[in-house]
Amino acid sequence: MARWGMVIDLSKCTGCQSCSVACKAENNVPHGSPEEHEKRQTPFWHKVIAVSSGEYPTVRIDLIPMPCMHCDDAPCVTVCPAKATYRREDGIVIQDFRRCIGCKYCIVACPYGARSFNYKEPDEEEYQRPDPPSERADRGIWPFPHRIHGVVEKCTFCFHRIDEAVKEGKKVGEEVVPACAEACPAHAIYFGDLDDAGSQVSRLLASRQWLRLREEMGTSPKVFYLTR
Amino acid sequence: MSRRTFIKITAVAGATVAASRLFSHPALGSVVYSPELPGGEGVITEKWVPTSCLNCDTRCATRVRVVNGRAVKVTGNPLSRVSEGENCARANVGLQVLYDPARITAPLKRTNPAKGRGIDPGWTEISWEQALSEVGDKLKTLREKGQPERLLLLSGLNTVSAEDIIRRFAGAYGTPNLVSADGLNNEADKAGEWMADGHYTQSAYDLERTNYILSFGASILESYKPLARSLRMWGKIRGERPNRAKVVVIDPRYSVTALRADQWVPINPGTDGALALAIAHAIISEGLYDVDFVNNRTSGFDEYKKLVLDYYDPDTVSGITGIPAETIRQIAREFAATGPAIAWRGRGATSWPNGSYTSYAIFCLNALVGSIDVPGGVIYQENPPYRPLPEPAEDDTAIKGRARPALDLRKTERFPAAEVVTNQVADSILKNNPYPVEMAIGFNSNFNMSAPGTGRWDAALEKIPYYVHAAPFISEMAEYADIFLPLTTFMEEWAYDHSPPGSGFAEVRIKQPVVEPLYNTRNNIDIIFNIAGRLGGTVEQSFAGIGDDAGGFVKYRTAVLAPWNKLLEQGVWVGPDYEYYKYDRIFKTPSGKFEFRSGNLEALLKEQGEEINSLTGLPYYREVQYLGDSSDYPLLLSTYQPLLNVENGSQNYPWAQEMFLVMHGAGWTNFVEINRRTAQKLKIKDGDTVWVESPFDRIKTKARVFEGIHPGVVSIAGGQGHRAYGEWAKGIGVNPNEIIGVDYDRLSGQAALFNTRIRVYKA
Ligand code: SF4
Ligand code: SF4
Ligand code: SF4
Ligand code: SF4
Repeated sequence: MARWGMVIDLSKCTGCQSCSVACKAENNVPHGSPEEHEKRQTPFWHKVIAVSSGEYPTVRIDLIPMPCMHCDDAPCVTVCPAKATYRREDGIVIQDFRRCIGCKYCIVACPYGARSFNYKEPDEEEYQRPDPPSERADRGIWPFPHRIHGVVEKCTFCFHRIDEAVKEGKKVGEEVVPACAEACPAHAIYFGDLDDAGSQVSRLLASRQWLRLREEMGTSPKVFYLTR
Repeated sequence: MSRRTFIKITAVAGATVAASRLFSHPALGSVVYSPELPGGEGVITEKWVPTSCLNCDTRCATRVRVVNGRAVKVTGNPLSRVSEGENCARANVGLQVLYDPARITAPLKRTNPAKGRGIDPGWTEISWEQALSEVGDKLKTLREKGQPERLLLLSGLNTVSAEDIIRRFAGAYGTPNLVSADGLNNEADKAGEWMADGHYTQSAYDLERTNYILSFGASILESYKPLARSLRMWGKIRGERPNRAKVVVIDPRYSVTALRADQWVPINPGTDGALALAIAHAIISEGLYDVDFVNNRTSGFDEYKKLVLDYYDPDTVSGITGIPAETIRQIAREFAATGPAIAWRGRGATSWPNGSYTSYAIFCLNALVGSIDVPGGVIYQENPPYRPLPEPAEDDTAIKGRARPALDLRKTERFPAAEVVTNQVADSILKNNPYPVEMAIGFNSNFNMSAPGTGRWDAALEKIPYYVHAAPFISEMAEYADIFLPLTTFMEEWAYDHSPPGSGFAEVRIKQPVVEPLYNTRNNIDIIFNIAGRLGGTVEQSFAGIGDDAGGFVKYRTAVLAPWNKLLEQGVWVGPDYEYYKYDRIFKTPSGKFEFRSGNLEALLKEQGEEINSLTGLPYYREVQYLGDSSDYPLLLSTYQPLLNVENGSQNYPWAQEMFLVMHGAGWTNFVEINRRTAQKLKIKDGDTVWVESPFDRIKTKARVFEGIHPGVVSIAGGQGHRAYGEWAKGIGVNPNEIIGVDYDRLSGQAALFNTRIRVYKA
């Protein structure tokens, strides 16, 4: 069984946010409004955050693309009373909307702010990917046509792409990658099997300096950042 | 067909190319539903249509996924070599451009004769026939009066094919007054290159192969075009080859490019020219320049050398720029030693009075180190070999009209080298200089928002007796229209396109309708064909035999490149590989060489009767004249274009709005960025509501206390502050152009954007 992980090369990243927009388009993540933004209620499964330090003229700001970290020891999983969020065997931490009771414990527990509460009524925008008919369900589930109001959402590592690829025998990480990785113009996002020493992600981690966010939390994130 | 094009075609046919990137592309069959579909209930139809983006003038090749007739996803087209199949974040925002709820769905006519800011035009829907016959009649009457020059055509962000058609219409009708937005962007950049090598164009840089980038105010990762190419190449040169390119960014503001660079060097605003000359001083005095190139391929070096050595030693220039002399020398040594190196100038350095000279001074650094037409240096963009258009038919009216002086005073004593002086037009309209404007048509233009001194544009638009606006939505300019013509968006129409200079080799993209037009809208090319037909005579003749409508015109111009169905299937045509070292042909100067002393400029000024002195042709530095008194207005106002500023004249796009300012984690807004120490002195705290006041006007916004900005400068992001339609844009943020004064780089007519003084105080 693979253990999927992501490697983001900050030395290549341009801070362009194609990843964040592509995630919204791929997964029908609702957009926000000025009011929701003000209240920090805009749902984002992916966000490029800015971390700054220092003073003029030696200021330093880093832009860090952040999906869910798919922690191997995920606090969100531990705290969920409804077992709505769970870790799949392949390491993807997933959220079952139907089981979620909207208690938001996981939002509090996640050290990365990776989760969003869906305050919105289900709506359908013209540009959203439509629901496939039931007889096509064998072609891979399409999980996000209609969002459920009042539950928590987050990045899925685009498991629908991964599952489909595995079923069709395609190479995940080469032929098929998550939407954010596909959209990255700088090719700064890599995806693959962390347990396969020959995968590109493993090779990068073996040959380059890397860090994970908030290592001290003991969450064992599966998103790695390459520094220079 | 070039060998490369052939290989690409094989790849698309799904054969055996091993490039993993190609395979990861959904267009080539990864995560999409299979195209063979079950019949009956709940049928899903799906296709990927190659087309191109128009959210900026890079006009990237894209593929759009269409499910059940709805466009749901945009990705790059792997056949494009300019951006190597990549796009920027705005490509997917194209979906929200197409499905924008604020789009106008039918032609509109104004019922309220009063015009002005905030005045309701009283729109009423009319038919296309009525709209176009009214416009046609007006045009006909004006032309019959023998005053075709009194028609003003304004052009914002359009497809290349629409630009070609609009230009042809201007010529056939007989007006010299076709005005694009270029005068607000990088005309001074262009003039600087022209002074050196005779090419009046934006410079192209061989980013992919360079080892060192020295950016003078160029926002390479946010707004410099071709943007998606820069983003792709950035990844390449910073992490996909053994020798990582070094990047040094000179900018008073810590931009996204600066934060991703190896070194940020804040500079006193407006002094980039002096810095370039000091770098030249260090390179020359330390004997680091490319002797071979300078001796064989350049002229005027001795005068240039004397200028540089006499006046611009790093110690002196350190006092001007605020950059330590040692840093100047360090940059100079690295620049000369780490070839191929690029000195890259952008708006931040050149949109100033005397911007042409600054641009020239920076451009000369490339020649000093031999980075001209070499791999990894400055290159010369090839234009796509579209099928040439026949000479337009012309009558006396057209010939006479075109010969009249233009409203923007281009190529006059006022703006001697200028090709277009966008911002001058407002004043010319107001002063009937050199004659009154009777009628204007704006194609996707929005100058009373995007040009400094917005109020003048409002007054000018109010004054124009008959104004027609063509765009997909109601912009600030559209509110002054007598007739509004609703356009299709770029996913609904036919066009051909290419990017601004950058790649070297030529590349064409075909836009084809991805979905049926959603509303009763038309393509601007079709509108012009229609109007030309109504005008008859030579105007009509000029549009005969070139395809008859947008689709036909695109085919006429491009089907010579490759078979038409192949173009439609692939969406992209790539020209032959770029050839370097064309020294026998590229220099369009009196000496036939790269000129450190500009023969082109001296000849032009002489022709216009100006006196030439020993400095005129040299890239010397002159201190900037500011607008406003430094005691009353102690700070300078600067602006920048964040990547998610959609450049079509609207910002009514939630995806772009909610991630608008990545550096600040801010969306749905903009604010004034102010250095912490400056803010402390002014007793302003982060988040305070403040007035930003120039000698011309003031705007109220929030303060963002920021470490990444020169203490003498404040900065406001462009793209917000819309007043017109659109719930996601209207009333959000402020528009700095409301308070920026009107000034120019004299030679090129480039609007000076950064020399307005301001003060900031709590509201
Ligand atoms: S990043 Fe947060 S949401 Fe994601 S797995 Fe870790 S704890 Fe859970
Ligand atoms: S992996 Fe998929 S779901 Fe997660 S951030 Fe990337 S695009 Fe979004
Ligand atoms: S798309 Fe790539 S380059 Fe752009 S912000 Fe995301 S990771 Fe960085
Ligand atoms: S660079 Fe310009 S044309 Fe290309 S995808 Fe971005 S907005 Fe569209």
